[in-house]
Amino acid sequence: MSVAKFANHLYGTPLSTAIRETSWIIPGVQSIHIIAIAGVVGAAIVMDLRLAGVLATDEAPRAVAKRHLPWMWSSLALLLASGFVLGLGEPYRVLMNPVFWAKMALVLTGFVLTLLFRYPILHPDYRIEHTRAAALVKPLAWASLAIWVAVVFCGRWIAYYQ
Amino acid sequence: MMPDTVPPNALMQTLYDSTIGTTIRESATLFPWIESVHVLMITAVVGTIAIVDLRLIGVASHRRGARQLIVDMLPFTWVAFVLALISGTLLFLSNATGYYQSMPFRFKLLTILIAGINMAIFHMTAYRKIGDWDDRLPTPRAAKIAGFSSLTLWLVIVFLGRWIGYSYPLA
Repeated sequence: MSVAKFANHLYGTPLSTAIRETSWIIPGVQSIHIIAIAGVVGAAIVMDLRLAGVLATDEAPRAVAKRHLPWMWSSLALLLASGFVLGLGEPYRVLMNPVFWAKMALVLTGFVLTLLFRYPILHPDYRIEHTRAAALVKPLAWASLAIWVAVVFCGRWIAYYQ
Repeated sequence: MMPDTVPPNALMQTLYDSTIGTTIRESATLFPWIESVHVLMITAVVGTIAIVDLRLIGVASHRRGARQLIVDMLPFTWVAFVLALISGTLLFLSNATGYYQSMPFRFKLLTILIAGINMAIFHMTAYRKIGDWDDRLPTPRAAKIAGFSSLTLWLVIVFLGRWIGYSYPLA
């Protein structure tokens, strides 16, 4: 089944129709979606800038990750759930849009970077200088922050690039 | 819904006709770029202020002391807020007469004002005595109220902002 066919099928389902036709659902869920990415950006600013050596450098990376990584995971879950509702309501707007797929690729990359380079920090014996690919920690911190910024830009551009 | 209570406003018309307003309105890409910057700055404001607000409510953060956490986060909040304000002003100029009539827009500005007053009250009261409760959890009642009010107000601001685009006269 092609993406267009799938979008068409989804568009016709009662749930999709209900989301579209209830006036407050899409703006409401979009607001929740923005709050979710705000949670991601907030956690990313602290964790990434700590690893980049800019913020709270006198705190151990583990102390920073321990407090902010759970918020990153919860925000990502809320981002995904609210995004899913929006996609369900307007499948054509997203599934047929290259900006949406670019955004998905960026979110996936951001998620994998967080999993590979933030999650291990929680280990009690974690030391930045002894970690695998230690030289990559700083540039990847900046890359991670740039990815979440790009995700926000893509999110807004989905509405304009048709 | 067509509000008939709002008279035509000469100042708003002047802003609408201004060079900046006209340039943004007539460009195919300026508005979405500025809007993207605006949304990014709002995520940075809300994301960083939420970290401080949650600490005031009593959620532990990467700093043991509340004062040091505030010192860590507020520069980001302020820079992002100023950039949100500048980008927001540019978006407003592109359709000043329309935004002027928009009720969610008016309520958004009002809510930002209330959030500012809430912050000022916090700084004049609980923050003055932060030495007494800096690294203590749970936090004093005044700090909890300030944090909870701020977080609520900023979440409302996001909703109102999104609603501007979905209501008359801009929908």
